[in-house]
Amino acid sequence: MSVQPTGGTVVEIPTFETARLRLRAPRWDDFDTYVAFLASPRSEGVGGPYTRDEAFPRFCTLIGHWHMRGYGRWLVADRETDAPLGIVGPMFPEGWPEPEIAWSVFDGAEGRGIAHEAALFARAYAYDVLGWATVISCTAPGNTRSEALARRMGAVHDGVCQHPHGPLTVWRHPAPAAVREGAA
Amino acid sequence: MTDAIVTDRLILRRPEARDLDAWTAFFMSPRARFVGGGATTGPGRAWRAFASIIGHWDLRGWGIRVIEDRARGTPLGGVGPFYPADWPEPEMSWTLWSAEAEGRGVAQEAAARMLTHARDDLGWTTAVSYIDPENGRSAALARRLGARIDHDALGPDGDPVEVWRHPLTRKATA
Repeated sequence: MSVQPTGGTVVEIPTFETARLRLRAPRWDDFDTYVAFLASPRSEGVGGPYTRDEAFPRFCTLIGHWHMRGYGRWLVADRETDAPLGIVGPMFPEGWPEPEIAWSVFDGAEGRGIAHEAALFARAYAYDVLGWATVISCTAPGNTRSEALARRMGAVHDGVCQHPHGPLTVWRHPAPAAVREGAA
Repeated sequence: MTDAIVTDRLILRRPEARDLDAWTAFFMSPRARFVGGGATTGPGRAWRAFASIIGHWDLRGWGIRVIEDRARGTPLGGVGPFYPADWPEPEMSWTLWSAEAEGRGVAQEAAARMLTHARDDLGWTTAVSYIDPENGRSAALARRLGARIDHDALGPDGDPVEVWRHPLTRKATA
């Protein structure tokens, strides 16, 4: 599938770089990697696995969220190679209990602190650019790696939310002031 | 920005967040049963489906447009080119979002203009519409637009749809 010119976006999805990562708009050439992620057991935390047919509307929704809300999740790419590594960012689809910082890491990109690096940026963006006063992250039962990341970011267990895929554990992040003081 | 396309009675433009309520009312109604929605659909699914239609624009550079009533400024439906990954070919799609929008030739006016747009601006040499065999109104519109069932063409992933092929290479649209 070739990369096609965009017809103009309602929101220009902004690109940022961290030490090792580029956070940018999802593109056509990320789609196969996204499909592989959704087809794998790794996607159980987000209601998967999903087929390739089911992946396309989800990929579009990832982008459309930006236009609906003015923010959304980035495709997290390797800063050197631009290879897709995961999807991280603020999200708040209809039906969510409140805005969330969400992270997913694609197959083979785990264990390098990629989600942590991207989620720290996303949280700072939510606080400093979007002006959020609080933010949660949700983890699926048994997703111990994701729970560990929430703890590493200083988030604390704050109940359970009901989701179409089942109950999720809610983690509440430290408030903006605490994050800016470097407490987390 | 993508330019809006204006017809006698309609504005055909990129969907925006302000269209969500009209879309949601449609997508949670039985009217949407042929396009993945329906009476058992919740608002979360409707929201994600709408966001998905918008996201298609970024990937393709074109997509489904909102049909807006020029006089009233209200959204009446959706129309336009749609091409998910792995579909056999691009589709010209249309939906009217309420019963009130029906019976006035709105979908025909919008779809005819978008077929011209696909041919003249997007360079399409052919176009199909995938229509559920139970969706008689949509099939009737396809016929009025000059389309005929193409029995040799495949639908998306084996869905039980009729493939209506539009006569795009000659001047067929009103």
